[in-house]
Amino acid sequence: MSVDYLLTENPVGYAVFKVVAQADTIGNRLKEVQEATQDLAKFGKMVELVGLAPFQGTAHALQEINDVSEGILSDFLRATLETNLPKAGKKKSIVLGLSEKNLAGSVKATFPNLVCETSETSEVVADLLRGLRQHGPKLLKQLQEGDIDRSVLGLGHAYSRAKVKFSVQKNDNHII
Amino acid sequence: GAGGAKGGQKVIVEPHRHAGVFIARGKEDLLVTKNLTPGESVYGEKRISVANNNATENGAPATTTEYRVWNPFRSKLAAGILGGVDDIYMKPGSKVLYLGAASGTSVSHVADIVGPEGTVFAVEFSHRSGRDLINMATHRTNVIPIVEDARHPLKYRMLVGMVDCIFADVAQPDQARIVGLNAHLFLKVGGGVIVSIKANCIDSTAAPEAVFAREVQKLREERIKPKEQLTLEPFERDHAMVCGIYQRAG
Repeated sequence: MSVDYLLTENPVGYAVFKVVAQADTIGNRLKEVQEATQDLAKFGKMVELVGLAPFQGTAHALQEINDVSEGILSDFLRATLETNLPKAGKKKSIVLGLSEKNLAGSVKATFPNLVCETSETSEVVADLLRGLRQHGPKLLKQLQEGDIDRSVLGLGHAYSRAKVKFSVQKNDNHII
Repeated sequence: GAGGAKGGQKVIVEPHRHAGVFIARGKEDLLVTKNLTPGESVYGEKRISVANNNATENGAPATTTEYRVWNPFRSKLAAGILGGVDDIYMKPGSKVLYLGAASGTSVSHVADIVGPEGTVFAVEFSHRSGRDLINMATHRTNVIPIVEDARHPLKYRMLVGMVDCIFADVAQPDQARIVGLNAHLFLKVGGGVIVSIKANCIDSTAAPEAVFAREVQKLREERIKPKEQLTLEPFERDHAMVCGIYQRAG
């Protein structure tokens, strides 16, 4: 099955890409196909950015990453998908590629006309998402160099601090 | 205490074959990395300062570079480097995914190797160790602490970009699968994989050699082409380090 749109989660926001050209399932492991994904010039022609929905501040980003890691469709992500995906008609359904199956389930429950493919169900989707992870920062034209790096640092600390059950201020004295 | 590099003694620091790693030649040779946060020890390790220039007559102040001693008995990667591993797949500017980061003692040395231009994504599941990891990372901005289970890489997919190398020291029976899951998501084609294998943690009843061979086979099934395997003797008993290259095609 071919995939029409891709959703990626960045530390700065959600991005929806339209798939212009894609490899077929059989030829996916060919050397040429794999090399095309790694080449930014070639990969840039395979996908095109539809929309980027940036998070409003670090608190919002933390809330979204908590939802995303649990596979919950947040209101913000639902709004993003509503604005960036065309309305599915009766005849042709739209296929959305995303990373994880729990999130796919939540998306499907809200958008019944949408068909979801994950990295596990389709290797083509897995490779396209790998390409977006590799070249994503360059394909998101609104962002400046280093934007993602900075937000990853803040978000990583915020996410991990919230996970740790102990007081982060205290230090263990190691007995060596 | 006795032994070790005494403070104030003449030490010469030379670059190691692996970029970003150095050797301090003094009374005895030590493996060192360039300290990213001069003046600070992470876990009580010794530090060595080396003067870059003593020409102060033209007004330029004398600068020093500080190095931190890397103990091979406490770090598997250091043991592997001293054991003569061919390639560590990380150099200044690299992005490294470190699975099983623990308190971040070895991670701090990897952070020194990749330098300010590189990034280390350090994953640790234990909350107690994770706390120390977070504290270490507050002083080193090229370390992204991730307190999460490495078995579920999709949970932290928002935090990790494409990486050049995965280093795994998770000591779990299913560690080959854990490495594979992470490689499929985050490791670029042709990227390096370094796995430290503790035979006892995989199967305590089988011979270590048989366990290592089985793990290498499992890595192969995860599309990681094994390049070399070396023992971590005399620093660790029944440990092996396996290095490989991630291949997606074919």
